[in-house]
Amino acid sequence: MKIRVAIDWALGLFRRFLQVRAVFTTVVLSGIALLVVGGFLSYSIGNGLYQTRVSQILAESERAVVEVQNTFSASTVTDEIALQSLLNSVVPSLESQGSTDSRKVALLRTPGQVGAQILQSPISADLDTAVIPIDFKAQVRNTSGKLTYQSVGLPQLNGSIHPGVVVGSPIEIPLAGKYELYLVFDLNGEQLTLDFVQSVLFWGMLILLFMIGTVSYFVTNWLVKPVQVAAEVSEEIAEGALDRRLTERGEDVIAILARSFNRMADSLQKQITKLASVSKMQQRFVSDVSHELRTPLTTIKLAGDVIFASREKLEPAAKRSAELMHDQIERFEVLLNDLLEISRYDAGAVAADLEIQDMNGIVGSAIAGLEPLAQSRGSVIEIKIPSGPVDVEVDGRRIERLIRNLLANAIEHGESRPISVAVGLSDSAVAVSVTDSGIGMSRAEVDRVFDRFWRADPARKRTTGGTGLGLAISLEDTQLHGGWLQVWAKPNEGASFRLTLPRRQGMVFTQSPLPLPPRAKKTKAVENE
Amino acid sequence: MAHKILVVDDDNALREMVGIVLESEGFELCFHDAGTGALEAFKTEEPDLVLLDVMLPGKDGIQVCNEIRAISGTPIIMLTAKTESEDVVRGLEAGADDYVVKPFDPTVLLARIRARLRPLAKTDGDTVQIGPLTLDIVGHEVRRGSEKLLLTPLEFNLLLTLAVKPKQVFTREMLLETVWGYAYKADTRLVNVHVQRLRSKIEEDPDNPKIVTTVRGIGYKAGQG
Repeated sequence: MKIRVAIDWALGLFRRFLQVRAVFTTVVLSGIALLVVGGFLSYSIGNGLYQTRVSQILAESERAVVEVQNTFSASTVTDEIALQSLLNSVVPSLESQGSTDSRKVALLRTPGQVGAQILQSPISADLDTAVIPIDFKAQVRNTSGKLTYQSVGLPQLNGSIHPGVVVGSPIEIPLAGKYELYLVFDLNGEQLTLDFVQSVLFWGMLILLFMIGTVSYFVTNWLVKPVQVAAEVSEEIAEGALDRRLTERGEDVIAILARSFNRMADSLQKQITKLASVSKMQQRFVSDVSHELRTPLTTIKLAGDVIFASREKLEPAAKRSAELMHDQIERFEVLLNDLLEISRYDAGAVAADLEIQDMNGIVGSAIAGLEPLAQSRGSVIEIKIPSGPVDVEVDGRRIERLIRNLLANAIEHGESRPISVAVGLSDSAVAVSVTDSGIGMSRAEVDRVFDRFWRADPARKRTTGGTGLGLAISLEDTQLHGGWLQVWAKPNEGASFRLTLPRRQGMVFTQSPLPLPPRAKKTKAVENE
Repeated sequence: MAHKILVVDDDNALREMVGIVLESEGFELCFHDAGTGALEAFKTEEPDLVLLDVMLPGKDGIQVCNEIRAISGTPIIMLTAKTESEDVVRGLEAGADDYVVKPFDPTVLLARIRARLRPLAKTDGDTVQIGPLTLDIVGHEVRRGSEKLLLTPLEFNLLLTLAVKPKQVFTREMLLETVWGYAYKADTRLVNVHVQRLRSKIEEDPDNPKIVTTVRGIGYKAGQG
């Protein structure tokens, strides 16, 4: 488990940091290269040492063999005792010769000769003739007068084995017959040298590897740093600090990166500033239009009112004209207000004037405002509200306007049937639904219901004089509060609009306290099936 | 005696139309067509009420309002084409008593004007005491000890309304009805802004009011506790 965590951490590090990857790769690759070079060096040095030593050994051995052979050939001894002493003198004399004192000597009689062995074979004191392989002995016998050599292992008293070389040559001894002279050389000195060289190589390369790792870390760091800075700066720019830039230094690729980055940031900043100023201009335009249109409209309205007030004194045609003008001025005013409101939303110039209020009160005054219209259309408004105040943080003016708008729609499309208004609440949300049992809407109509200037049935005559912007503004108002405005409708069964708002700004809710479609409608639908 | 109203608006047609409507209701009228010189017109005409357009050539209505307030408490009603919070609040903070949004109904305009020119409600005595302040109802004066405080008629009316019923908490809607004369509910910012202006004149520390205190979630009342 712990190992897994460690591996995950390392992998994460590996994935996240370019430097870690670069350093890791460099170290692994140079490690492999060093291994190859070190192996080659170690082999070459070992081999060189061995070859040098062997040629030296052979030269020495050659001299020794010639000397021994000459000694015997030139000797004039005739009796066994003298010969034995001569034989015995050979070994010490050979042992003491040469560059190293680490050689052992054995003068062995070749077996299988006619005549009994009359002489003892002289052997260096601490030489075990078993180290001389049998097949090597056979090889020596079969080469007449030539040196033969072979690598052997020399067991030591302490149990270790020293590398060695054994050199052999047949020797003819008068009176005694054929003998074999073996010289055993210990190569431990060379082995020690080689071991030392290898350990130096090993540690040297380890240090080199570490240094390569360190250097590559610094180099990559040095290369990655500007990229890191660029990443940080772009992060800051993304978060809105549009005037952040990279420092441009030098002529290298990093400087080119910095320059192009800065150019990009410049043009982005320019675009954003331009867009912001366009948006400001739009707001300004809305504000100016507001003033420019409203002043003449005020004059027209006042004039219209004066004429309307004295309409009784006018000719019938002029009187009717005065009445029409009076109504249309009002409609024009509503339309202008809606247009200005929606363009304020488009310009993002709307801020909610939030206050904790009683939703029941807001709904009540919205209903009170539309009661006369409902009565004139013969619609009864049924109210289902929780007892006690329903506190909710809203912009009361907008929400009341929204509910009034939903009510006006319900009255207009409600076919004089009862309209039900419900208020529901949960810990995090407050909902208001307005349901009519009128002509309803088809699926396609529901999809377009919040579009600007869209009307459910263009052929229907307009009675309440809506502007066609009402629901579009309602939706904007809802979104301003972070709420939902949803609709359910079925042709000839009616429509229901449900507004769900967070009880306090920023509260998160996942469910509306009221059902949609409303319960009554759902049961009806089930019964029909 | 007919009340005299000064209309400051750069739109000739609107000025004339407002004139027709108001004269037919028996008011005496005088006009000015720009921000510059509006103060001089005010000084020479000495109107009982000013109708002031917000957007004016030269100086804007807010500046003019500030200038008039510096020398007089005469009621000022702003004519505004803007309902954006900022503009309305700016006008009220400059000292306007009320505002009417264009396009307005003549009835609305007349109601607002009459509310501002209406004499104060009758009270029992001649003076009302509230905290360290003495309100002289006949003389429309407020004194702290011997120091005379300069309040506009609206501010005086607001303070008096609160002071005659010191135990009662007034909601913003109640104040809008009694002080501003709105029968139907209106912009409660009128109350908020004017309470702030009133406090800045009568309170020792306007940030920590003792005479006109806020009752959280409800409204205002006179005195503490």
